[in-house]
Amino acid sequence: MTEKKQDLLALRDLVVRYHVQGKPRTYLTAVRGVSLQIAPGEIYGLVGESGSGKSSLAHAILKLVPVESGQILLQGQDLGAVGKTEFNKARREVQLVFQDSLAALSPRRTIRQTIIEPLNHFKLGETSQREGKVIEALETVGLDPALKHRYPGDLSGGQRQRVALARALVTEPALIIADEPVSSLDVSVQAHIIKLILELRERLGIAFLFVSHDLAVVQQLADRIGVMYLGKLVEEASANSLFNQPSHPYTRSLLAAVPVADPHHPPPIVLTGEPPSPLTPPAGCVFHKRCPESIASCALTEPEEFLVDGPGKQSANGVNLKSAEHRVKCHLCNPKKP
Amino acid sequence: MSTPSLSVRNLSVAIHLREKISTIVDQVSFDLEAGEVLAIVGESGSGKTKTAEAIMGLIPKISWQVEADAIELDGRDLSKLTEAALRKVRGRQMSMIFQEPRTALDPVFTTGQQLCSIYRRHRGKTKPEAVSAARKMLGRVGFADAERIMGSYPHQLSGGMRQRIMVAMAMACEPRVLIADEPTTALDVTTQAQVLSRLVSLASEFGTSILLITHDLGVVAQYCDRALVMQDGRIVEQANIEDLFADAEHPYTRKLLASVPRIRTG
Repeated sequence: MTEKKQDLLALRDLVVRYHVQGKPRTYLTAVRGVSLQIAPGEIYGLVGESGSGKSSLAHAILKLVPVESGQILLQGQDLGAVGKTEFNKARREVQLVFQDSLAALSPRRTIRQTIIEPLNHFKLGETSQREGKVIEALETVGLDPALKHRYPGDLSGGQRQRVALARALVTEPALIIADEPVSSLDVSVQAHIIKLILELRERLGIAFLFVSHDLAVVQQLADRIGVMYLGKLVEEASANSLFNQPSHPYTRSLLAAVPVADPHHPPPIVLTGEPPSPLTPPAGCVFHKRCPESIASCALTEPEEFLVDGPGKQSANGVNLKSAEHRVKCHLCNPKKP
Repeated sequence: MSTPSLSVRNLSVAIHLREKISTIVDQVSFDLEAGEVLAIVGESGSGKTKTAEAIMGLIPKISWQVEADAIELDGRDLSKLTEAALRKVRGRQMSMIFQEPRTALDPVFTTGQQLCSIYRRHRGKTKPEAVSAARKMLGRVGFADAERIMGSYPHQLSGGMRQRIMVAMAMACEPRVLIADEPTTALDVTTQAQVLSRLVSLASEFGTSILLITHDLGVVAQYCDRALVMQDGRIVEQANIEDLFADAEHPYTRKLLASVPRIRTG
C-alpha cells in the first residue's frame, strides 16, 4: 500500500505488545500488525468487542502503550523516530477523549483549570488571552461559560464529556482520538454528543478516530469503519459499504447481535463461544473457531486481504470517501476460490 | 386471571438531604404476571434502579424512606416482613442481577464455591449434591468446561463470563421473580445476546418472571413482553411491546423512541 500525501495519520504494521506481569518472557500481543490511514477531517470508526485491541491501537498513537514495532506517521512524520521535543509538538495535534469522563477530569480542578492546562503546557497564545480561549471552547461545545468555576463532580455525564471535548479542542488539534466517548451515556445524551462531534468536524475540520463497540453509534458519524478482532483489522470499508455489504462473517455476526428496537424484527443471532485469549491466538484465521461459515483452510492459513469493492482509480481531487476501498481478510472472499 | 407473581402498590422512595426530602420514586404501582418479562425503561435518574432495590428490600433505612401500600410476592406482603424473613425470600424466591458483576461477586471465593453456597443454603443440598447441581447449572448458561470455571476466581473471567455466572447464581433456586438491573449494559453486543438469550430461556423453563431494567429499547423490543416507562420517579406509560413501539402515547416515550440509534442496512 502506498501512502497518500493527504493522510493525516498513517499506521503501518503496528504491533502493540504488553509484558504479562509476574510471568517472565510472557507477552500479550494486543495489536498484531494493523495498517490504516485517516485523512484530514475524516471520521474513522474503529469497532470490535472488548479485548479486540481497539483501545490499545488508539492509545498506541500517542505512545501511551508499548509499541513493539511498526510506524506511526502523523502528517508524514514518524512519531517513533522523533525526539522528545518533536513528539511534544506532535502531541498538540492529537488529543484524547476517554470513556469515563469522571476519571479523566481531575476532581480537584475547576472546569476552567482543566481546560486552561493544555494552553499553559503548550504555551499557546498570550497568557491574557487564555481566559478568553476557555470561554470560547466552552461555547463551542455548547456549555454555559458560567460552569467554568464548577468541579467535574457538579456536572452530569453528558456535560463532563463536553468538558473533555473542550479541553481537547483548545490546542486546535488536527485529530481527536475518542475512546468510547458515548458508551456510558444515555441514548438521548449520546445523540447530543454525536451531533456535537459532527459539528466540530464540519466547522473546524478536525479528524476523529472514534473507537466504539456500538455499531449503531458508529454508523451515525463515521465516514469509514474498521472492524477489529483479536488484534487484527479484519474488515475496512466506507460506512455505506460496510453496512450494505458486510463481508467478513465476524462483521455480520456483530451486526446480527444488535437488538433492534422493533418487535417485528427477527431476534438477535447468538454467536457461540468466547473470543480466544490474545495470549494464545489460534492458527489460521483469528475468527475461525467462532465462525459460522468456516471452511478447512480457515484453520490452516491466515487469509490475505481481499478487495471487495473499491474504485479502480483515485479521484483527482483527493480522497473520495464514498468510494473508499472495501477490504476484508477472509478466505471466503478470495476471488479465486468462490 | 391468575394472581401476578409480583404486585407493587403505591411504592415511594425518598431520601433525606439535610433539611429537604427528595422523592426518587413516586407512587409506583404495577403487576408482574407469572412468566412475564417486564421491562422498566427510562433514563438515568428516572428511579428505575431504586424501584428495584426497594422491592428487594435493599435500601438502607438510614436517610432513606421507603413506603408502600403493598409489595406482594405470590400474595405475601414483603413490606411487612422482618429483615430475617426477607433474607430467606431473597435468593430463594426472588433474586437479582446487577449491572456490574465484578462488584456483585466475591473476589476471594471461586465461582464454584459461591454457586454451591446457594444450593447448600437455600435448597439444603449436601456438598456433593451442590457441586453436581452447580456443574449442571453452569452448563445451562453456556459453559462447555464447567469444571475449570468452578475453580476460577471472578477476576480470571471476562465480563460476559462473570455475568453468566451471575445468571447461574440468580437462577439456581428457580426463583419466582428475577430482577435484572441493566444486566448487559457493560457488555459487548455479541456477549449481550449470549447472556440475555440464556436468561430468557432459563426463565421460561422455570416459570420465572423477569423485571428487566434497561435503557436499551432494542433489548426491550427483542426480549420483553411488556414495558413500564419511568420519568422522574413516576410511571408515565405501561404498554405491551407491540403497542409501545407501534403507537406510544406519552410524549416522553416517543422522545425516547426517537433517540434510539438504528442500524440501517441494505
